[in-house]
Amino acid sequence: MLKLPAVDVPLLAQALAAFLAEELRASGLSRYVLGLSGGLDSAVVAALAVRGVGPKRILPFALPGPTSSVESTQHAIQVAEQLGLALRLLDLGAPAQVLAQTLGCEGDRLRFGNLMARLRMTALFDQARAESALVLGTSNKSEILLGYCTLFGDQAASVQPLGDVWKTHVYALGEFLGIPQAILRKNPTADLWPGQTDAGELGFDYLEADPILYYHHDQGLGEGELVALGFPQPLVGQVLATYRRNRFKWRPTVIARVSASCVNVDRILPRNPRP
Amino acid sequence: MRVGLAQIATCPGQLSHNWQAHLWAIQEAKKADADLVVFPELSLSGYLVGHGVLELAMDLEDPRLDPVREASREVALLVGLPLRLPQGGIANAAVLWEQGQVVGVHHKLYLPTYGMFDEGRYFVPGQRLVPLPWGKGKLGVLICEDAWHPSCASLLVHRGTDLLLIMAGGPSEVGDDHVPLGMRRWHWLVGATAITTVTPTLFANRCGWEEGILFSGGSWALDGRGRTLAGPAPVGEPALLVATVDLAAARRHRSLAPIPQGERWELWQAHGERSAC
Repeated sequence: MLKLPAVDVPLLAQALAAFLAEELRASGLSRYVLGLSGGLDSAVVAALAVRGVGPKRILPFALPGPTSSVESTQHAIQVAEQLGLALRLLDLGAPAQVLAQTLGCEGDRLRFGNLMARLRMTALFDQARAESALVLGTSNKSEILLGYCTLFGDQAASVQPLGDVWKTHVYALGEFLGIPQAILRKNPTADLWPGQTDAGELGFDYLEADPILYYHHDQGLGEGELVALGFPQPLVGQVLATYRRNRFKWRPTVIARVSASCVNVDRILPRNPRP
Repeated sequence: MRVGLAQIATCPGQLSHNWQAHLWAIQEAKKADADLVVFPELSLSGYLVGHGVLELAMDLEDPRLDPVREASREVALLVGLPLRLPQGGIANAAVLWEQGQVVGVHHKLYLPTYGMFDEGRYFVPGQRLVPLPWGKGKLGVLICEDAWHPSCASLLVHRGTDLLLIMAGGPSEVGDDHVPLGMRRWHWLVGATAITTVTPTLFANRCGWEEGILFSGGSWALDGRGRTLAGPAPVGEPALLVATVDLAAARRHRSLAPIPQGERWELWQAHGERSAC
């Protein structure tokens, strides 16, 4: 069966660290904030940022909610210690419960999960404002293509270094950057309710989905061609259905154009202009 | 003749930042006794300026170009900028300054508008392809995509070009090799251009990131037989290369391997006539 093409991991790490350095310089701000979930993606982003701008310009936050596992926070502490980062803990459990009660979503784990993701976003953007910082996102390409994220929650960030990096390659980056094995080996999870895993929700795991997404999204092969090449039909159908269903998340908002100067349509401008 | 190739990182819309990068390269080039410094495509404005060209485009009298004019009194400069045209429209231009004067201008002929490129939306294409006369030789200037159409280099050499200068803003991807894919493609192209035109070919590419797009650098200078004169510059890092170009040797190469002189222009002409029908 066809595989996802390999990537030169040291070059990828070098390039992404340089990207983080340039985005911070161009913004004129002084540091990055990010949420360290205890998972692989945020650990890799933190390690890349350390290479790009140094540990003193990174403010990592552990943002546990009422149902977060203790292990997640322990892993976040482990990553921060390894990278020489001063981890700050903001327990979002109490505000999450108050808000859930106000909104009436306590019993609905999906709504509550989305609420938690958006509370984390709120906390990170607030701290970014206080610290003259940019919010560093931790979404990877596989998640983005599948729309496996909370709109305006974990998906919201100023800078996404892994947004064009397949999850398969995030594992390789994690190995290269020396992320602890316990984090590399555990199942990907948004940790929004006990026992939640990405694969459990999606119905397949990223290592299975990545080659299918690559040959469809990057190389333009259709469903029939993918099956003819040996990918199992049910898996192809499931992956491509998710890929289509959640596409609206790639462009989180649509502006109704009623003039000839609509932002990002008629006027595509640099993000950080300066004299 | 000593030619500096300035591999610099630029930021769209940050003119002061970009000019500082030019100044660094000019200082280094002066220390290395260069006669000319070649910068990447749209080096002053940054490449991914989008509709920012409406603010950033300049005419040749624009006061924002005063520092370039001044710096050119000490070393000739070939700089990339969005050039406002008298009849309206903006060209993706290369401007050659020497002794405080503009001595040559090339407008990019091929504006890529596919994949991640959208230049046809912001610029108007050039209409002329001639070498720029310069005291030390005739310069054949190609701006990025121009070099991907081999006819451009062939025509320039046919019209008496002594050396080809490619000013690039070549984006790149990371593949399975330690050399970025874009740099590898460029090196094939620069090498093929040098050896098929039997003409020294010098490639100045931008490095770094703009608006989330990676530019890999890898600037490089070759003689007309494919021997390295300078570089390649490292991946992704600013660098100043200086190549010593021997025009007498270049002429000797074209005598020993008269490949460009053998170009069958009648085939091109016949194709053009058939296409016109």
